[in-house]
Amino acid sequence: MSRPMPPLLVALSLMLAASLPAQNPAPAAAPDLSDPEVAHVAVTANSIDIDAGKFAQTRTKNPAVHQFAATMITDHSAVNAQAAALAKKLGVTPADNAVSQSLMTGAAQAHQDLESLKGAAFDRAYIAREVAYHQAVLDALDKLLIPTTENADLKKLLQDVRPAIAAHLEHAKRIQAELGAPAKTAQ
Amino acid sequence: MTFWLWLLLAIGPAPTSHTVEIRGMEFHPAELTVAVGDTVVWINRDLVPHTATGAGKTKWDTGQLAQGDSGRYVARVAGNVSYVCAFHPTMRGKLLVR
Repeated sequence: MSRPMPPLLVALSLMLAASLPAQNPAPAAAPDLSDPEVAHVAVTANSIDIDAGKFAQTRTKNPAVHQFAATMITDHSAVNAQAAALAKKLGVTPADNAVSQSLMTGAAQAHQDLESLKGAAFDRAYIAREVAYHQAVLDALDKLLIPTTENADLKKLLQDVRPAIAAHLEHAKRIQAELGAPAKTAQ
Repeated sequence: MTFWLWLLLAIGPAPTSHTVEIRGMEFHPAELTVAVGDTVVWINRDLVPHTATGAGKTKWDTGQLAQGDSGRYVARVAGNVSYVCAFHPTMRGKLLVR
């Protein structure tokens, strides 16, 4: 079994690569996301991690992994509730877009990869994905979502969410270290 | 007169209440010195729920604190008390009870 880069990470990396001027001499290289689209990306990214956490809870037998999954469900649900309240307040309808769609495609692929795994192999794969996912989301927040958002309330929400994403990343890395390396690396 | 003086001495210094703010996935201040009998109040300013949960021998827990909620702990015994957020193990704090 090969270990390709998770599609979700690819999607976010592409998004980031496109947003970095150094990567592309052409002007206006950044994906032109409107605020309703940024809101949609944020809600989609949270929902994906809630679903991954729910699935992990049905699969894992490791208490630390189970607790991590519970925290992901609780925290990302809290953020989405706040995002929904903000959208309502602003009268904004989150708008589906290519970035959200590639996130969903990546999530479906990741779910399929996890579906076949059990026990320690599942725990390692789930946590590895959570590390990659939160790193990608953190990078997207810093380099794309926060800088391109124009509405002050939406920008503040994204800024308020950032420390939670960073803490989730550290939490996942700790569990990854505890779980240790895979027993064997399949090619 | 003697009675009132006696009462004043018996009561001693009034217990103080201290506040620890939870914001940005951190306890502020992360380290706090309090006197025996003082109350520590944690207030959650974050979007996500937190707890303040005693680590080690002294088991105590504020329970889940949603945004805007607060929980308290009365420091009964002198010593250093480490605590964490039960949901986010990267969040750590310490009470120095004197």
